[in-house]
Formats: sequence, C-alpha cells, structure tokens
Amino acid sequence: MKLRSFLGFSAPSVALMLLLLALPLAMTAWLSVRNCAFDMELATVVQTGPFGPAKVTTQRAKVDASGQPLQVCSFVGAAYYRKVLGLEDRADAPGGDQNEFFGALRFTLLYVAATTPFVLAGGLLLALAMNRVTQRLKGLFIAASLLPFIITPVVGALSIKWLFRDNGLVPHLLSGLGIELYWMAQAWSAQLLVVLYGVWHTLPFAFIVFYAGLQGVPQDSLESATLDGANAWQKLRYVTLPHLAPLVVFVTLIHVMDAYRVFEPVVVLTQGAFTTSVQYLTYHVLLQEDNPYKASAAAVLTVVGIAVLLIPLLRKTWREQRRGG
Amino acid sequence: MKRRSLVMAVATAPWAAGAAAQGCPALVGLSGVGEINLVGNSFRAISHIARQTESCARPGLKVSFKLTPNARTETEQAFASAGRSPFDGAVVSKGVFSSLYARGQLAPLTALVDKHRQRWKLEERMLVRVEGEVMAIAFMQNTQSLYYRADLFERHGLKVPATYADMAQAAATLKAREPALSFPIAQAYAKGFDCATDFINVLAGCGGQVFEPGSAAPAFHGPAGVRAVAAMRSLMPHMTPNALASNSEDVGNQFQQGKSALGVLWASSATRMDDQASSQVVGRMQLAAAPAAVAGGPSSSHLWWDAVVMPRNAQRGPDAAVRQEAAFHALMQGLSTESVRAGNDLAIWVRSDWQPGRGGNAVELAKAAGAREWPGEPFLSLAHGELGKVLPQALSGERAVQATLDAAASAYRKIAVEKGFAKA
Repeated sequence: MKLRSFLGFSAPSVALMLLLLALPLAMTAWLSVRNCAFDMELATVVQTGPFGPAKVTTQRAKVDASGQPLQVCSFVGAAYYRKVLGLEDRADAPGGDQNEFFGALRFTLLYVAATTPFVLAGGLLLALAMNRVTQRLKGLFIAASLLPFIITPVVGALSIKWLFRDNGLVPHLLSGLGIELYWMAQAWSAQLLVVLYGVWHTLPFAFIVFYAGLQGVPQDSLESATLDGANAWQKLRYVTLPHLAPLVVFVTLIHVMDAYRVFEPVVVLTQGAFTTSVQYLTYHVLLQEDNPYKASAAAVLTVVGIAVLLIPLLRKTWREQRRGG
Repeated sequence: MKRRSLVMAVATAPWAAGAAAQGCPALVGLSGVGEINLVGNSFRAISHIARQTESCARPGLKVSFKLTPNARTETEQAFASAGRSPFDGAVVSKGVFSSLYARGQLAPLTALVDKHRQRWKLEERMLVRVEGEVMAIAFMQNTQSLYYRADLFERHGLKVPATYADMAQAAATLKAREPALSFPIAQAYAKGFDCATDFINVLAGCGGQVFEPGSAAPAFHGPAGVRAVAAMRSLMPHMTPNALASNSEDVGNQFQQGKSALGVLWASSATRMDDQASSQVVGRMQLAAAPAAVAGGPSSSHLWWDAVVMPRNAQRGPDAAVRQEAAFHALMQGLSTESVRAGNDLAIWVRSDWQPGRGGNAVELAKAAGAREWPGEPFLSLAHGELGKVLPQALSGERAVQATLDAAASAYRKIAVEKGFAKA
C-alpha cells in the first residue's frame, strides 16, 4: 500500500484516538502536576435562616475588580503522586503507620486475581453448555445468561446486597442450616461478597465471547479428531481450546482493565468497609476532598497500574502478531 | 392501602394541577425566555418540587429540572463555570450552600424577594440571610431523631432513653425479653458519610466542636472526640455485626422488619415506618429527640436545612434579568404553599402551612433538646470526608481511637491547605 493511501485510511481513526484518548490523558497528566485554590480569607458572619440567627465562621474567596473569585494556581510537580501513594505521610502518620494506598492496592489486586480465573472458567463452561442446548431454547437461555451483564452495575450490586444484608434471603437460608453469617461484618466475607458480585457481573461477557468463538471452531478438524479416535475431552483440549486461545487473551485483557477499576460493588455492597479499592480512593479524592488535581494524579496512577498488569498479556499478543505478520 | 393511595392520588391530582396553574401566572410576560434549567438531588421531596416547577412551562418557556444523585458536583461545576451557568437555579443542602457562598458564586436574591415576597407568601424563616442579604431560600428541614418501638417500650415498662447509656440499657432489657429482637439497636454507622455524620452528632452531644472557634483548625480529635467514639462504640454490642456497612436505608429496613427497636435515624424516614406496603411496624414506631451522649448534655443531633440558590454567573447576557426572574418564579412555584400542601408528608417543610404527621415536629423536638444547627463552615465537608474514611477503624477496634482521630485531623489539615482553607 502506498504511504499516501495508508495515511488516508488510518488518519480518521488516529485523529479520533488522539482526540478522545491521548488528549484527555495528556490533560489529566497536566492537571496532576498542578494545584489551583481560591485565595480565602477567614470571616465571621451573622447568618439567619430557619433556625434563627447564628454567628458562623466562614471563609470568603478574595475577588478581583470584576467580582470574580481569585484563584491561585501553582506547579506542584510530583507532590500529589507522592500523596496518593502515601509516601509523604509516612514520617508524621500518627499512631501506627497505615498506608491506605497499598491497602487499597492489595484488595484491588486480590479482586483482579480472584475474579479472573472464575470469569474465564465459568464463561467457558457456560458457553460449552449453551452450545449443546437445542436451537429452540438457545435465544431464551442466552438472554437470561446475559442479564447480569446488562443490568447497570449499581442496580446489580444493590440487588445482590439485598440478598446478603440483615434479613436477606441468603443469611436467612444459611441460618436454617445453623450458619449465622454476617457478610459485611469482617474482611474475608465482605471481600468474598465483592468478588462474588464481580464474577456474577462479568461472567456473561466471557460467556458470550467464548460462545461466539465456539461457532467458528472448524468442524472438519473436529470430525478428523473423531475419526482419529479422540474422545470429547481430547477434542476440547487439542482442537477447541487452541482455537479459543486468542479470545481467552482478549477476555482477560478486558476483564483485568475493568476489574482494576472496581468501584460500584465496593460502594454499594459494603460502603468501602474492609474493601477499599484504588478507585474508591480516587473517588474520595475527587468528591470528598473536592480536589480534581490530586484526583488526576490518582487517575494517572490507575492507568499505570493497569498498564503494568497488562504487560505480560500485551507482550504475548505482540509476539503472536509478529509471528503472524 | 394501595387502592386507597391510588384513589387519593386521583382525587388530589386535578387539585394539584389547578394549584400549579394558579401559581404560575407570575410567569406571564416572561414567556420569551426559552428554557429554564434547574438541578437537584433525586430525593422524593425534591422530585415533588421538580414536578411543581416544571408545571410552569408554557408556550415559549420550557422549564426542565434535572434530578440526579450527583447534584452536588453538577451544581458546583455549573456555578463555578467561567461562562454562563448551564443551570439557572439549584436545590442544595446547607453544606453545599456554605461552599458556594464561600467562593462568591451565589447571586443575592434580596431584590427578587423584596419584589415578589407577597405573591409567594415567603416567610422570614425561609430566607437565609448572610449579613442581611438573602442568599438562599430554605424550604425543607431535617434532623436525626430517636426512633423507638412504643409498643415494646410500654409492654416492658421502659422509659424513652435520654442518654446513650439509657439506650444500651433499654437494648439489653429488650434483648432479654424479646427473642425476635436479635439486635435491638439500629443506627447508620456505615463507612463514609453515615459514620462521620453520627460522630459529629455525638461529638456535639459530648460538648465538643469540629473546629477551633473562628478557625479552620481541627478540634474533633480532642478528649470530646474520644468520648464521642466511646459513646458510639457503647451501642455496637446491641447492633448488627454488619453495622459498619449499614446506611440509613439499611437501618430503616431493620426497623420496618421489626428486627430492631430503637436507634437514631433521619426524621424524614418516619413516613417509611407507616408504609403499609413495606413496613411490619405500622403505627408502632415513635419519634423522640436523639438522646444525649452524656447525662445532662444536649441531644446528639443537629438541625439541617435545604434551600434553593441561584448562580452569580447566570447574570450574564442581555436577557439575564428576565431569565433570573423566570427561574425565580419557577423555583417559588416549587416552594409555594400549594406545593407544600400537596406534598405535606414528603418532608418537614419550612412553612407554617405544613402539618406535622403522627410523630409531631421532630425538628422542634430536637431544638428543644438542645440540638444546634449543622456546622456551616465551608471546610466541614473536608473534615467530614476524612472522618468517614478512618472512623470504622476505631469503631471496629482495629486501631486506637486517639490514633484514628489524629490521623483524620492530620489528613484534614493537609487537604485544607491544598484547598486554600488553611496555610501550610
């Protein structure tokens, strides 16, 4: 292909990627090394309202000639990165050093590691089972299996929470068996609950990808294997699975990216108790601390975290592509 | 009950619509404005106000009210915008009001209020004035009250608890005599907003303050703070082991299912207790002022309000004045006496026309018991956020109380500097 044609074909998607991916990322990186704050001065004012007058301590932003509040912006370098990573606080952290970032990272990695194999294995098993269902029932079964993936995460997490909270169906059934378990009361069960949700929510995605893959397994290879005397397990092991291998890499890639950003089940199921994730901290910085600059540093670190996790998978894909090319 | 609600709804709908039509003639002559955009949180009471404001739409004027769980962020971003705010008005809590006011992003409403006060029957206590200037119009109030099962208390000859120690004692008695009540106390201790709010309530009950008077320096980690955490922990043996993940919704559910018999919860949840469709304790739950943390101290609770505000940055462009007036009228329709009457049970409204429900006026009860207004410092939300993040460690016993509070204070100091509220 001539360079001119190549550029002509690739330019629109490259431009879109620059605009929608690279530019926001660059802006986030730019924000993460800055800080802007209003220039505040302390004031005590008399405020009246539904409960009568009261003296209130407030702060007022200094304003410029046109009445606009004055903002002071400065370059802070890597300060916010150090703060998000908890590196600055180590010396003066009172009462036992607890690095919340590494605590959150530990749970996040645990979540990624615990959900991925179940999502892959469960998705594959479901796809294999669905492949054997009669044609007439397939539509219904596929639709039903996809439901957890279609439901909005917050709504899905809420419905799972209602099953597991006090007086919920699961504790009720377990107590019938003599097991009194309070799922959000200790770390192991709270974390297990979030992992269970993660598997339930993502498994349909793996299933539908593998199911689509199964439709493309070469029938002649399967028939040859049968003629050669291969049993069902051998056909799966030596024909079907190698065919699905690129899809396994694909599902793992997407799931790892997604799982590293686990947030909704954490907030909905346990309110973050025992299950603080990296994304929960970013959310806290953005909304509770109301600091988009520090939150940008947290966001960049999230991208770095995902990139590190993806290195082995990306290397594998890269090698395969080169071999293929 | 469902049928009755339906009949009520059908019977009141034409009346409500009629009322809306009567109120909105204020907008005649302001039809050329185009579109008025408002924003607020997606609570039931605010949804009601949203419908009322939207009833002001007419040819040439569209009123759209965005109900969103992210109203705070959307409002703050819109009001901070360098261009004209995409919203002409917003419903905000007192906390959001404080930060918007601090940044000078609110339009004074004094002139509009003076001009239209009679038409909308605005009561003085609705007007939030700072140094005399009206900056917001309050319409809804709330507090945290003690909920208790009046039937069980009567059956076992228990007195309504006046202190946290009384609560623990009542819980122990109930647990011994009512086997169905495995966890007599339910209170929202969930990580984040809930446990921090409860802590600030109990801190006030212990005579403590969040900040040093007249300053942004933290004071919540002093001896009163330690006593407050101890008071909170004293209830935990009577609460579900899931307490650190139990938010207000879960606590309401515990009460509705008859699994818990007392605890402090938002007064606005009272109607849920009498909802025949979901509650098993209809007519049996009673409200009282939240108990004092220590004998003789004030109620461990605060008084809250919600208000409507308008952005300073909407006052741009040639049609700014007309737009502002149209938005003001639409908002006032939402806060009108007709609107309050139609949505009487949805909130504790700041209007004399509001009729208290079975539980009485919880806000008045709290006031009489010594509860003060929720702190109004614009940096409160920062301290609140840090407390919410670490308090569960102290409540669960994972970390020493003083060390936990010191960690929250230290984190707060740093972010207060980042945000310009304190100097390094």
